[in-house]
Amino acid sequence: METDSVRRGLERFMEMNPHIKVEYTPVPGDEYHTRLLTLMAGNAAPDVFFINAEGYYRQFVERGVLLQIDEYFYKSLSLEDFIEMDQRKMLVDGHIYGSSSCVVAPVLYYNKALFDEAGIPYPSADPTEALTWDEFIAIAKKLTKSKGRITQFGAYGFENMHPREATIYSNNGLIFSEDYAKTVLNDEAQQALQKILELRTVHKVSPPAAFLEQSGMNAAQMLQTGRVAMVADGSWALQELAKMNFDVGVAPLPIMKRPVTTGTAHLHSIWAGTKHPEEAWKLVEFLSSEEYQIGLVREGLWMPNRTSLYTPEGITKWLNPDVHPEGFEKLASYFTEYLEPNPALFVPRRAWDIFEEELDKFFFDDQPIETIVSNAKRRIDPILAGQ
Amino acid sequence: MRWERLKYSDKFWAAILLAPNFIGFLVFILFPMIASFFLSFTEWDLLTDIKWIGFGNYQELASDETFWKVLWNTLYYTLGTVPPGIILSLILAVALNQPIRGVKTYRALYFLPVISSSVAVAVVWQWLYNPEFGLLNYILSLFGIEGPLWLTSTTWAMPAVIITSIWKNLGFNMLLFLAGLQGIPDTYYEAAEIDGANGFAKFRYITLPLLSPTTFFVVVMSIISSFQAFDLVHVMTQGGPARSTSVLVHYLYQNAFQYFRMGYASAIAYVLFFLVFIVTMIQLKRHDTWVVY
Amino acid sequence: MKRVRIETILAYLILTLGAATMVLPFLWMVSTSLKSLSEVFVFPPTFFGERIVWQNYLRISERYPFGQFFLNSIKISAVVVFFQVFTSSMAGFAFARLKFPGRESLFALYLATLMVPFHVTLVPTFVLMRFFGWIDTHYSLILPSLVTAFGTFLMRQFFLTIPVELEEAARIDGCTPFGIYARIFLPLSKPALATLAIFTFMGTWNDYIRPLVFINSISKMTVPLGLASMQGSYSTDWPVLMAGTVISLAPVLIAFLLAQEFFVQGITLTGLKG
Repeated sequence: METDSVRRGLERFMEMNPHIKVEYTPVPGDEYHTRLLTLMAGNAAPDVFFINAEGYYRQFVERGVLLQIDEYFYKSLSLEDFIEMDQRKMLVDGHIYGSSSCVVAPVLYYNKALFDEAGIPYPSADPTEALTWDEFIAIAKKLTKSKGRITQFGAYGFENMHPREATIYSNNGLIFSEDYAKTVLNDEAQQALQKILELRTVHKVSPPAAFLEQSGMNAAQMLQTGRVAMVADGSWALQELAKMNFDVGVAPLPIMKRPVTTGTAHLHSIWAGTKHPEEAWKLVEFLSSEEYQIGLVREGLWMPNRTSLYTPEGITKWLNPDVHPEGFEKLASYFTEYLEPNPALFVPRRAWDIFEEELDKFFFDDQPIETIVSNAKRRIDPILAGQ
Repeated sequence: MRWERLKYSDKFWAAILLAPNFIGFLVFILFPMIASFFLSFTEWDLLTDIKWIGFGNYQELASDETFWKVLWNTLYYTLGTVPPGIILSLILAVALNQPIRGVKTYRALYFLPVISSSVAVAVVWQWLYNPEFGLLNYILSLFGIEGPLWLTSTTWAMPAVIITSIWKNLGFNMLLFLAGLQGIPDTYYEAAEIDGANGFAKFRYITLPLLSPTTFFVVVMSIISSFQAFDLVHVMTQGGPARSTSVLVHYLYQNAFQYFRMGYASAIAYVLFFLVFIVTMIQLKRHDTWVVY
Repeated sequence: MKRVRIETILAYLILTLGAATMVLPFLWMVSTSLKSLSEVFVFPPTFFGERIVWQNYLRISERYPFGQFFLNSIKISAVVVFFQVFTSSMAGFAFARLKFPGRESLFALYLATLMVPFHVTLVPTFVLMRFFGWIDTHYSLILPSLVTAFGTFLMRQFFLTIPVELEEAARIDGCTPFGIYARIFLPLSKPALATLAIFTFMGTWNDYIRPLVFINSISKMTVPLGLASMQGSYSTDWPVLMAGTVISLAPVLIAFLLAQEFFVQGITLTGLKG
């Protein structure tokens, strides 16, 4: 659980800074940002808080409730300390309003026993040797088994957020224009979505949309129970997988045209109304420090966002054989060289909700891609324009 | 003495007795209602300055596809819950009104879902609706039916929420009908029996007309409360998939507290009010023609 | 000579089938809450696992302070019920039996607000709570619920049915209007007060949207909100989730079964009023 690790980190911080007292209030559930807004509107926001990059960070910056921390930030840190995707995550019009502790991005997990059983060699963890989409389908077909009805599926997860965007990008597809002022969904993007759908409809290697999730299992449980041989899911699943007793392997997502994954993660921001900006920054600085993130990275929940932690020596600081599968170090470059921010980071939540809704119609309701694209453009563009 | 006179004064005591209630009424009922009306003409995210935009929100509503979808879903939900809910609860009430044993036990069992919180009911039904390991599809499979994907299907998610809602409220409506049935004097039935009326004829010509005040009450209350559905939807589906279960109050909540659009949410609230108002007016007008004594 | 009527058999059949439908989800909930996760994911589903897994209950109560949720819910419901019965009966009495200028128009105003759905007031109430600094406090759940037009209306309607003669006799004996309210009307209206209390209690106890909007901290959550937030964190751990649901429901269901008559009579009364 995230909260325990965070608590330990905060205790360490208070030992280092005895004059600062940190009160930690975890807010469970999906309503976190609603509550944050409530507190800010009520002039009772905490000095430092966690904020999601997607849908909220930029929205809150726009409303002027996050303290601009350029001055503090550049005093002790530099942008180059962070991997490129994270720089893009933090910067809003050239300024910084929140500092980040980690990145997370989708990868491909597989159940090694099922590969052994089918006599298929494990896919490489090296992004330059990632499976092509066709190779991936061929393997997935071999890993799909049926006894009357399908009992083991080859692959799952590409219809979900994150693997879906990564696959679109891998085909050189674009969801929004570069300045996020327009919906694009070009031919490459449409083609990628079509290919994802075909995993289920044509190749029959994927279970019905969201079927397994509704079956009450999450990706890790599906992989563990052998119902699915390969699962595209966020890097955070490592933590849970490590606690399950089975041999799991990790590889980059299969590529259409280029290797790429799409990252996200939270930031720590300071409330614009804080009375203690100095102390607040101390905490934010600690929360983005190597020391703090290594703890959570070693548990498999996060991936580092410091460039220093991706050098051969840096990797040894966090690589944990109990959590990170064999050969994981080869995957490290995936997070430095092939990582792009998920487009959800740059559009309002309302626009993204419509995007999701339209894609649901594509994946669940058999609506043709052309309809989806024209609907998405018509409905999302006014919101993007109104920003 | 002044107090001697005062203590017998109606006006004085009316003021004293009304005061606590009236203050609460003003601050927490009347003021918010009026404020909401004004907010519906503004654009406000609680954090930045409030902006007057006239009919802007209402114009946007008219062209907001999501809003129309949500409005349609609300009507779908109402049509799906009210008539079946009323018919089923009436059948149960009539059955319970027969000379049978264990009335109290039956009544208690039917009432369990009513007193359970809708959040708990939603969580339990989510599990029942599980396509693969849920009880519901298993039971269907015993009858050779392959159950749908329920909450992840754009076609079946709304019926699933509707079924849960009917299940939850059945006992309540049944109890109201039962009270109504017990208010019908036996002499009517005895007279009908002498005239040779059979069971159905008695139901059609005595029970239904004499029960009409109760039916009227139950229908109006059910319609109004189904316009305001939120809990089940918010916990079971969050309005998905593809907004197929998103209803008015859910969209209101999203706009206010997820998209931070207080003005737009207030405009949706007033549309909701308008709907309830129409239903109330129609019912008030039709009360005389429908209710037969 | 007693013959079994076909209607009676049919009634038993319908009622038993219906009752099974009502009870089955609850049994399934309890059954799941006592299984291990792997036993939940089997097909066909079974009602009894191989062994009883009490740990689900321990795990959920370690993480979620259900005791605290209950205390919060009890506190809030008790205060709301008490004051609502109190303010509604006083105002209902004034509207029903005291003569003062503007009575009819004021009552009409109350009636008019009955038509306005509660959700219309959600956003402004939120703004108001922020203004008073009551966000994330129990004040935000208690104070706006102390007065309702419905309660006032219900009490007024009931007081109207009490014979005028009683009141007139008391007035002749030198009873003040307050005395009439406290010593004659209140004791006579126990059923109506009970009805109002039950409805208010159920509404407050099960309320979801208000705590959702106003409460942030775990320690201040009510039972339904606590349950919903638990659902957010344990979305796929069904046994633990069901254990939490059982904990949240059991006390209320037991209380109901003990006080069934009271509940049923209370609810029936409003039905007749309508």
